[in-house]
Amino acid sequence: MPQLADLTAAVAAGNRKDTARLTQELLDAGVEPQVIVEKGLVPGMSIIGEKFAANEIFVPEMLIAARSMKGALALLEPLLADAGVKPEHTVVIGTVQGDLHDIGKNLIAMMWKGAGFEVIDLGTNVPAEKFLAAAQEHNASVVGLSSLLTTTMPAMREVVKVLREAGLTKTKIVVGGAPITPTFATEIGADGYAADAGSAVAVARELMGITA
Amino acid sequence: MTSREKVRRALNHEAGPVPVDFGSTGLTGLHVSCVAALRDHYGLPPHPEKVWEPFQMLGEVEDDLAAALGSDCVGAMGRGTMFGFANEGWREWKTPWGQVVLVPADFRTREAENGDVFIFPQGDTSVPASGHMPAKGYFFDAVVRQEPIDEDNLNPADNCEEFTVMTAEEITHWRETFARMQGENRAIVSGIGGTGFGDIALVPAAFLKHPKGIRDIAEWYMVLLEDPDYVHQIFDYQSKVALQNLETFAAIAGDAIDVITICGTDFGTQTSQFCSVQTFNDLYAPYYRRINDWIHEHTTWRTFKHSCGAVRPLIDSFLAAGFDILNPVQCSATGMDPNELKAEFGDRVVFWGGGVDTQKTLPFGSPAAVRTEVLERLKAFSPGGGFVFNTIHNTQARTPVENIVAMVDTVREFNHAGA
Repeated sequence: MPQLADLTAAVAAGNRKDTARLTQELLDAGVEPQVIVEKGLVPGMSIIGEKFAANEIFVPEMLIAARSMKGALALLEPLLADAGVKPEHTVVIGTVQGDLHDIGKNLIAMMWKGAGFEVIDLGTNVPAEKFLAAAQEHNASVVGLSSLLTTTMPAMREVVKVLREAGLTKTKIVVGGAPITPTFATEIGADGYAADAGSAVAVARELMGITA
Repeated sequence: MTSREKVRRALNHEAGPVPVDFGSTGLTGLHVSCVAALRDHYGLPPHPEKVWEPFQMLGEVEDDLAAALGSDCVGAMGRGTMFGFANEGWREWKTPWGQVVLVPADFRTREAENGDVFIFPQGDTSVPASGHMPAKGYFFDAVVRQEPIDEDNLNPADNCEEFTVMTAEEITHWRETFARMQGENRAIVSGIGGTGFGDIALVPAAFLKHPKGIRDIAEWYMVLLEDPDYVHQIFDYQSKVALQNLETFAAIAGDAIDVITICGTDFGTQTSQFCSVQTFNDLYAPYYRRINDWIHEHTTWRTFKHSCGAVRPLIDSFLAAGFDILNPVQCSATGMDPNELKAEFGDRVVFWGGGVDTQKTLPFGSPAAVRTEVLERLKAFSPGGGFVFNTIHNTQARTPVENIVAMVDTVREFNHAGA
């Protein structure tokens, strides 16, 4: 019988075919889909995050690992939905209005998905109102805002303002992107700053109060 | 001392006044809105500014503005643009931010209901748009047009459509350009395109009507690791065409130019690199070496490598691949401390950039903060030459003109004090 550790290793290695095969074999052996996610996939993506943060791997390796995970989730998600299993936390993410860049945003979304969160990805060039609507609709624990451009940093401030004015007390706001700094995050009233995809999971977990 | 002599001294690592570049390349330029603001500030005759680089919406720095800024470099620009049309047949166009500019005849756009602007490859509005400027944006981004990928039947030729030998029109353009620039006393910076390998800005091929092969950004990054043979075949073909074009170009340009831009491929992120040193050395370096070696064997030109981000771990490899100049020297990225860079690499590489942070200080700081940072950078990078002052990448839209002027004045005062 395949082991969950094998699946973890396959995801961390970005081996798409093995990841899909092992996922199916674990399912066939009767392992619960939720267990496969939590004990197989999440640790694999966690390894990826750590290696990325330590400069042992780079963007291509992360993309390849995330694609492997995505393939596994394609098998698992319908089963999780049928069983009524929903992740405890939902996060909303997008690139702010005026900005079309999405590599960084996509990497964070993948890492958050890989951490077991439900991820609502709004894409790029997202207006403040759309962030608000999604945060309300999904009762988001975290809203992640991305910006690559100096010219769109003001749009980030606007989203924070709109979310604060709507009084979403549960929702924490995390910002990131090449020109963004912790000082800017504080200045605009965000709750957190993620320097890169490697640290984004830890930042979100901390804001959600997850200590394990 | 002429501007050209200033630049040559710097390139030869000789002490002297710090030369300045504002606008000689698409990597060292100014957004067209900044060009207009500067013309107004210096009281230069008002007229619609030419958008010579339509992707990033860079404005032409004309001779009168170059003189006001004290720029020591001038670009010998190619005929084509990022969207595959020629820079000719200028006409007026009103930008989404309300500025009237001049754009080439084939700069054809369509505005969506929400105010987003789309631009078309080669000016052909019958094919899908290849560039997108959001309603509140100031420049275009490439629209990824990715056909379904058949991983088992990838054909490297599909990713080589853009690498072609110089056309008769391009040869005529270069002849006319260098004839016109005879007697120029600034350093001339040029580039022929097709010499940069795997530049992610070029992968989506905004200049092609129906790009084939791998054009999606994430797919490209993944194929670098998953199928390096595919990439080697592209780079091999590309480098052979580039060498042929360099031979043609060298016969026309001769020693008229001082610097040739080779590559804009970004190998750095804000905090890390896009690949390991090993991957760079295995996958990219052999082809850069071909290009740079040919140039050094046949010309007097210095080779210019642009890469944003935290590239310090890669600088030795860039030098081993034959690059002479590093741009934009992103000091705000991890490990890119100006004093440390100068100490470690200053005698082997020319830093072309690093003058001021365009992510924070220049757009959002005060003129006093700009002055302080510019002075720090001048002191760090200028000793013993090997430094051409430029902002860290292009000056972005919405940068206050008083900050740009503070930067220009600080460099001028520094040079004056050292004279």
